[in-house]
Amino acid sequence: MSVLVNKKLKVLVQGITGAQASFHVQRALKYGTNIVAGVAPNKKETSYLGLPLFGTVQEAKEKTGANASIVFVPAKYAKSAILEAIKAELELVVVITSGIPVRDMMEIKHELLHSSTTLIGPNTPGIITPNEAYMGIFPDNIHKSGDIGIVSRSSTLTYEVVLEINKIGFGESTVVGLGDDFIIGTSFVEIIKKFNSDKNTKAIVLIGGIGGNYETEAADFYAKLSKKKTTIALILDDPTPLSDNKGLAPEIICRGITSSMDKKRILQNSGMIVVDNISALKSELLKL
Amino acid sequence: MNIHEYQAKKIFKQFGINVPNGLVAYTPTEAKLAAETVSEFGPWVVKAQIQAGSRDVGKFSDKRAGRKGGIRLSKTLEEVFDNADEMLENLLVTNQTGAKGRLVSRVYIEEYIKTIRKFYLGLVVDWVSASVFLLVAPVSDKDDDDIVKLAIESPETILKINLGLQKEIKNKQLTQIVSFMNMQIELSELKTFLNRMLKLFYTYDATLLEINPIGIAKSGKIWALDAKIVFDESALYRHPEIQKLSDDSEIEERELIASKFGFQYKELESGIGIIVNGDGLALNTINQAKNMGISTACFLNLKGGVDRDKISASIKLIMTNPRVDGIFINILGGFSRCNLIADGIITVADDLGLNIPLVARFEGTNKDEATDILKKSGLPLSIAEDTTQGLQLIKEAIAEDL
Repeated sequence: MSVLVNKKLKVLVQGITGAQASFHVQRALKYGTNIVAGVAPNKKETSYLGLPLFGTVQEAKEKTGANASIVFVPAKYAKSAILEAIKAELELVVVITSGIPVRDMMEIKHELLHSSTTLIGPNTPGIITPNEAYMGIFPDNIHKSGDIGIVSRSSTLTYEVVLEINKIGFGESTVVGLGDDFIIGTSFVEIIKKFNSDKNTKAIVLIGGIGGNYETEAADFYAKLSKKKTTIALILDDPTPLSDNKGLAPEIICRGITSSMDKKRILQNSGMIVVDNISALKSELLKL
Repeated sequence: MNIHEYQAKKIFKQFGINVPNGLVAYTPTEAKLAAETVSEFGPWVVKAQIQAGSRDVGKFSDKRAGRKGGIRLSKTLEEVFDNADEMLENLLVTNQTGAKGRLVSRVYIEEYIKTIRKFYLGLVVDWVSASVFLLVAPVSDKDDDDIVKLAIESPETILKINLGLQKEIKNKQLTQIVSFMNMQIELSELKTFLNRMLKLFYTYDATLLEINPIGIAKSGKIWALDAKIVFDESALYRHPEIQKLSDDSEIEERELIASKFGFQYKELESGIGIIVNGDGLALNTINQAKNMGISTACFLNLKGGVDRDKISASIKLIMTNPRVDGIFINILGGFSRCNLIADGIITVADDLGLNIPLVARFEGTNKDEATDILKKSGLPLSIAEDTTQGLQLIKEAIAEDL
């Protein structure tokens, strides 16, 4: 058992012929990810990197039985690529692309309300189930299989956490990068729900982001869970230069004051263990 | 991306939103001339143009400007001249500028519009619901009636309406606003005004549109007395005409250079300079340094991939900051071969000489090769296995260097 990504998932890659995509697809194949097809509109070739190449997601799905997609399509064209994957009713779409316009994401998010697709990202390192498969751009060999489920709004900080907790003997059931753009397809809530019912996950680590109120939403959900696994939230203190936008009135009105202090208090009240540095996180894990 | 009020008002005008006549001025003499052009008799309003809010309740750092804020009513042309003279080339500090304040390099001279009622209006994208929210709140002319303060202390006095992706305002929403505000206003007038704002918001990929305040004249005419627009940087490629409005003069020189390379660069105090490849990692490194008694002068986020040129450019930039006494490079999952990081460091040493301590920590392919290259270079630098060791090493190196 794992969350979202496993060996059986049949993955297609949108925008596979780009340099970044090609590089990461080869690494993922080597790792064991079951990538079955590539999609690149306007390409004459019928195969790429040894994978069959199709013009549309629908065709790739019909011919290969793919049920998930990794999107590497450049920001300008990402909206139509993502909407195509949603329309083809793929179960899971992981968007690596960064710099997608806010309005495009708003339209995508509203489209998701009427679909069964789970969208992860954009601007995410992806999802990895160690020793099985990953969809994304994770660095080599830092993950180990284990029973800690990690869900994060940050990418590099997640790598740091993984390196540090593995040093003291832990490993990960699955690591889910939500992406650190303003608007993301899936928030903490859905992933906590999945980890909470995953047999292989013993405890959950939540890594918060800078600004925004996705953490508040997570706290509301966690507080109401009847049977809950231990969840440790890592919320770093934010020095003001990193959160310049926080002081705008409309943002305060819409999202509440979401400084790291507020996030820590809200998460703590929901029943999570809250830490503000990685060594404290390690100590809490050792107490499990 | 932010723009100035006078630029935002020009855009408002294009969309048919009523704004007072106004002209921008760079000198007190220009300000007086501008005043004569925009209105024959006055009074006028002299407004400091900085890209931050709460200007009216802000204070200038130079005492010659007196205790008044950055928005001043002026009854005579002489007052226009004097107010412009006091504001120009002076630093304005508001609750949104930070302690240092922002330099006022231009003022906007506007005709004064007499209104009987004022209110705050905002359109903003809410992250979690991925929707546009309309915000309305009553404001008065009192100094302490600041919208940020209102948002924090009494959020219940602000009306929030979720517009979803609505491109036009609905009649029942209009009624909701009017009854919340308890105001006498022609509904069709308000509807036209709000629809024009929404049109502007969507046309230019704004993420925030704020009018503080809107004024209603005795005649019932609705005026945008202020204008603030924040544009989505990721969507600027769709609006080259907006991109051109960007004003670099308020950005610090090193920050500007960094942005040209696609880096994020921020200065804090004095101490070490940190080069990382992600926001979360930056924050974690700064906090961990603080816990170890090391202060941070600045951090530079390379954002995205790492290569030789990016590494050397970032080190060179940080070396121009006189408050930096050591550099810590902390890179995780940059997907480049680590030897390119090593090459970048050696390029700097060859070009400029490495005159301050440097510690590098990286994970990725060719790590051993890179470590070897750096060790054999004979340069005053060390390689660390993790963040803690890296910070310890840079702390020791700086102590020796002093």
